[in-house]
Amino acid sequence: MVLRIALIAAWFAGAYGFESLGFAQERIPVVTTTTVLRSLVEAVGGDHIAAVSLVPAQIDAEEYQPKPQDVLRLRNARLFVRVGLDYDLWADRLLAQAGRADISRGGPAYVDASFAIAALELRGMSVGPGDGHAHGSGNPHYWLDPKNAEIITGTIVEALMRLDPANAERFEANRLAYLAHLNTKLAEWDTKLASLKAVPIVAYHNSWPYFARRFRLDFIGFIETKPGVPPSPSHLAELVQTMRARGACIVVREPHEPERDVAFVANKAKASIATLATSVGALPHTGDYISMFDTNVDALRAAAAMR
Amino acid sequence: MTDIVQFLWPPFLVAICLVGIHTYFGIQVLARKVIFVDLALAQIAALGATTSFMLGHSAQSAATYGYSLAFTLLAAVLLAYTRAWATRVPQEALIGVIYVVAAAAAILLIDQAPQGAEHLKQILTGNILTSGYSEATIIVALYTVVGLLHWLLRHWLNAAKSLIAEFVFYATFGVVVTSSVAIAGVLLVFSFLIIPASIGVMFASSLARQLVIGWTVGIITSAAGLVASFVFDLPTGAAMVCAFGGALIIAGVIYPFLWGDRQRVIRAAIASARWIIAAVLAGSAVQFAAVPRADQPLLDAAEYAVPALRTLYFTRTEETTFADASEYAERYRIEAERLNDLEKQRRTDGEALDDVSVARISSYLKSYGEMRKGEQFVQGEVRARARERMRWSLSLGLLVLALLSAPLAWRRLFT
Repeated sequence: MVLRIALIAAWFAGAYGFESLGFAQERIPVVTTTTVLRSLVEAVGGDHIAAVSLVPAQIDAEEYQPKPQDVLRLRNARLFVRVGLDYDLWADRLLAQAGRADISRGGPAYVDASFAIAALELRGMSVGPGDGHAHGSGNPHYWLDPKNAEIITGTIVEALMRLDPANAERFEANRLAYLAHLNTKLAEWDTKLASLKAVPIVAYHNSWPYFARRFRLDFIGFIETKPGVPPSPSHLAELVQTMRARGACIVVREPHEPERDVAFVANKAKASIATLATSVGALPHTGDYISMFDTNVDALRAAAAMR
Repeated sequence: MTDIVQFLWPPFLVAICLVGIHTYFGIQVLARKVIFVDLALAQIAALGATTSFMLGHSAQSAATYGYSLAFTLLAAVLLAYTRAWATRVPQEALIGVIYVVAAAAAILLIDQAPQGAEHLKQILTGNILTSGYSEATIIVALYTVVGLLHWLLRHWLNAAKSLIAEFVFYATFGVVVTSSVAIAGVLLVFSFLIIPASIGVMFASSLARQLVIGWTVGIITSAAGLVASFVFDLPTGAAMVCAFGGALIIAGVIYPFLWGDRQRVIRAAIASARWIIAAVLAGSAVQFAAVPRADQPLLDAAEYAVPALRTLYFTRTEETTFADASEYAERYRIEAERLNDLEKQRRTDGEALDDVSVARISSYLKSYGEMRKGEQFVQGEVRARARERMRWSLSLGLLVLALLSAPLAWRRLFT
């Protein structure tokens, strides 16, 4: 009994000791909207920052419903990083509630990571026919092109330098080391996906234009034509016909998307299903930005091998 | 043609099965006045599945089905008691409470395991379009057993109204609803349950006749909804629910013709139609006079159907400006689409576009979007100004039309 209490006490001491050590270094509290951004902030901030993501890994960030704790997290944050391009619109209301000018739009500690990104599939105000997006500001899934990490981390480092000029060189060094590692990885993914070049692929939701452009993949259609609306039978019939005609043998699904509808289409077109992560931690072995791509690349190759 | 059959035949078979059992339960539910009990039961079953999911069982496992069933049976006990409890508070209120508490509890549970949110959504939003023969065989077996049980116990179930009879009713109903909601979703199952049964009850008084009418209406409406969803490119479940709504309206229109003085009914129908038209016209007149720049649903619809109507109140200059703006807007849209297609094509075809070209395309697209918005603004502004000019004359005209279409006794007024 005494031993047990001693053990618990030691554990508590250890846990709190750690915490206080962390605080002793004065880590900069950073709040991001998604886990991908958290991973990138961690990559450049190293142990000078403590980043949390508002949206948990497995949840669809476009449909996230904020919780009271999120306001608290924002109030304590010194830097706020969001995806932008209308992807995480719910964050605006949270920011208004948190009432902090410096991390709100236009403030010095507000980072819209889509800054300077070349957005694809911009369609002005109108909703393009059947591309599955109602976004006026272009397709928002730009982090799925690993090359865009250069721009995203650049924007983040700039903001971190403003907050903590003393460590400016450290941040930039971290970033360069990370990008060097990412570039060797990129070459590896490129060779791994070379066999999939121009192989027709179908996805549930149009999350993949940036990924497709980088790795020269051909996404020929989508199951969902408008977010949140079930597909019509004529759309599915047409999709299945196109898949058969063009020999599409892979259907890409994100973990939060309905299994049944994807299985239905894959079954009709005799295609295999690849479940890919668009956020860090959405699948096993996707603990950070780079391993997310590792897992996705392997899953795509596995699905292609099954045909 | 083969496509239609291939895509719609399995969901049609499933719909027949669902109509078959739900029409029967619907008649019972209407008689017991517990209209929303299916929502409560489906939600409780979802709560059971969620609990099982939280405890680490997979979505399709026997354990999950067991939890769903256990929760449904518990809810059936609760529901059996509600009739006795509902002395001053209506039974529907208690059923509503069961529904919201089960839904909220599931959300709280899900919050502990994020990956469950999608799972919960899938339990309650089935898609009849993607149902197949395997599901049809399971529900045929299940519904046959439930149907047989109810047929064998029919006297006891309907006469006694004892606690045990109520329990058996809700338990079997819960089993049926849980399976059907997973296949067709909450909205469609509610339609299957209530609408054919209501039409049956409207036109017949014996259970057998009510069933035959309900089944016929249900099957025809399901087929119509499925075909409409294919032909008009609509989400299947929503199209079927609206088809059922339409069926109920048609039944409501036919009803007085079958059971009443036909002449009088026709006269009343014409009079009320004229009143409705008069009210719509008068409302539009007032809206147009008060805020000519706001949306004018009647005018907008008329102009959408016959664009030439604009020439009636546009000046020559306005017409040209409007036409130019719409032409430019369309041109920008086409240009933007061309660039989008080019970018998409070059992802796989030929040499890849470098990052600078992509950035340039992206900024062109942004400009085209803005320019197009500008042209659309011009169109709106031209129309709004023309309408402001017409403010009094047009609203007066609408008002006169309204008076003319109202079934007032003009002749008596003037003689």
